[in-house]
Amino acid sequence: MDKKSTASEERKLTCKDVSKCFELLESILDGENLPNSKEIMDEKLAKCAPCFEHYHLEQAIREVLKTKCTKQNTPAELVANIREKIQEIK
Amino acid sequence: MSEVQRKKYSDQEKNNIFDNEFMPHIDSMYNFGYRLTFDEDDAKDLVQDTYLKAYRFINSFEQGTNAKAWLFRILKNSFINDYRKKSKQPAKVDYQEVETYYNSDDVDYGITTDLRVDAVKDMLGDEISNALNSLAVDFRTVIILCDLEGFTYEEMAKILDIPIGTVRSRLHRARNLLKEKLRSYAQNMGYKTDEDE
Repeated sequence: MDKKSTASEERKLTCKDVSKCFELLESILDGENLPNSKEIMDEKLAKCAPCFEHYHLEQAIREVLKTKCTKQNTPAELVANIREKIQEIK
Repeated sequence: MSEVQRKKYSDQEKNNIFDNEFMPHIDSMYNFGYRLTFDEDDAKDLVQDTYLKAYRFINSFEQGTNAKAWLFRILKNSFINDYRKKSKQPAKVDYQEVETYYNSDDVDYGITTDLRVDAVKDMLGDEISNALNSLAVDFRTVIILCDLEGFTYEEMAKILDIPIGTVRSRLHRARNLLKEKLRSYAQNMGYKTDEDE
């Protein structure tokens, strides 16, 4: 999928329909199943520099959000408190 | 909780659903609550309230369907209807203001941020978290649901009661705002952005 090895000189420096392309790339990165999405994406990444750059930046943003955002530990008493309250309304 | 009441579960069935379909999501629920309120006690109250409502309205939950999305929807509604009303602390950006100003689905995807992939990858967890936390609640919410919790656009539309087109455009705007925050962190870290060149 990653076509980073492809020389960037081969890619167009401007994108004819940047808004539509970026919307499509973002939907693909968000896991939406679109018809022929893989083929369209591969072609864009191989041929269009703005699409290539946008895709990789958007991918990096999603990746750091997924992996680096600090998670809060659920307080130990929360589950017990919930169960206690449920018993009261049963 | 507008779902049609399908059937009445026995007490045994209720307990099974509660233990096996609802409780496994407690960590995600708590994190969502915390990221909405930034307060441990408020997050605990929101989650507890959500689970009590879930139990009370368990007959409107269809066993085997997406329990996580169902619970998130209850928590989000509790946050808007209960917490936001009684909270004395004003939100950084007023919810209605955001709704009116940003709710158009017509969004320009062509606007780019001069942020480098390397700079993003080198960001620390705290910087990413702080950038996310600084976004207005509507924008923060879509990023949490999509990127941290992995919901689809369709699931997010149901959780937030908004059309899929609005989910998509709000998400795009949210990430652009996030990129702006990250770009200023990157500049402070000494990374070059295109603007410097």
